[in-house]
Amino acid sequence: MANETTMESYLTNLRLHLAPLTIADREEIVLEIAAHVRDSAEESGATVEAILNRLGPAEALAAQYRDGLLITKASRSFSPVVLLRATLRVASKGFAGIVVFFLAIFGYAMGGGFVLMALLKPIFPANTGIWLDGDGHFISMGMQFPTPGSGAHVIPGLWYIPVALIAGSLTLLSTTWAIRNFLRLSQRLRAKL
Amino acid sequence: MVKEKLQPGEPEQPDRWEAQLRKGAVEMAALASLWQGRLYGLEILRFLETHSQMALAEGTIYPVLNRLKAEGLLTSEWVEAEAGHPRKYYSLTETGRDRLRQMAAAWTSFSRGLSRLIEPVVHEKERSNGQ
Repeated sequence: MANETTMESYLTNLRLHLAPLTIADREEIVLEIAAHVRDSAEESGATVEAILNRLGPAEALAAQYRDGLLITKASRSFSPVVLLRATLRVASKGFAGIVVFFLAIFGYAMGGGFVLMALLKPIFPANTGIWLDGDGHFISMGMQFPTPGSGAHVIPGLWYIPVALIAGSLTLLSTTWAIRNFLRLSQRLRAKL
Repeated sequence: MVKEKLQPGEPEQPDRWEAQLRKGAVEMAALASLWQGRLYGLEILRFLETHSQMALAEGTIYPVLNRLKAEGLLTSEWVEAEAGHPRKYYSLTETGRDRLRQMAAAWTSFSRGLSRLIEPVVHEKERSNGQ
């Protein structure tokens, strides 16, 4: 009877920490772990406590499930939110993850910026694009309100739109590709024993 | 859970190195245990212990199986058992079999190469044992 209570409280705890998963996935994991404990007790005659000890704390077990699924899902996703969440998870475990997380934010910001400029160019043609000073030297790229004086101007022409769109898409795609590869690699290296 | 990070300048311990080595192999081992047919979690653990002396922490195998299933390398089914509760059996999918073949080929060529590399070391040990 005491055994049943110990096991129930372990499973309740496990269920609690598996909360981000779907109910179906969660219940299946709980059922499988319960079956493991019963089979293991029957096979070896060990106490439920001893078997639960070998499984490790419910919280840690749940974390291994969550990390594995989060990262697997993310390494196939195109969604910046999913990818950044998974990267952040890896970042909580080591320095490489932190670096990749900030590079990812930088990549998304830059790619998004290009696309935004392409979209705003037709609306504010004189304010958006590549800025040159009076002597024709490069100053900056982007939007300026109001237009700076002293001869500074945007290189004219709507060619900026396709160029910015292509540059933006390439930056976003390569950021996505780099994060997904990093997540796959981190998963290979982090499988716990 | 053991902290994974190694301080710079700290020599890597042989047991740490061995643990890393086993970590890298756990997916292949789990897939390989299912090559002959379906098994449930505890059977996979026992199979690995008897066939490869690969003793995994019990809490490790289940999240790994779950992930391999999410990747489409495994399928699972619940089967009623005499024990009175159903058991979750895993089997390889076609993708899983292909992946395992690739892993086995890579592993074989890798370990052959390394074995050649350490041959002098192993021979030296044998010679000193013979004296």
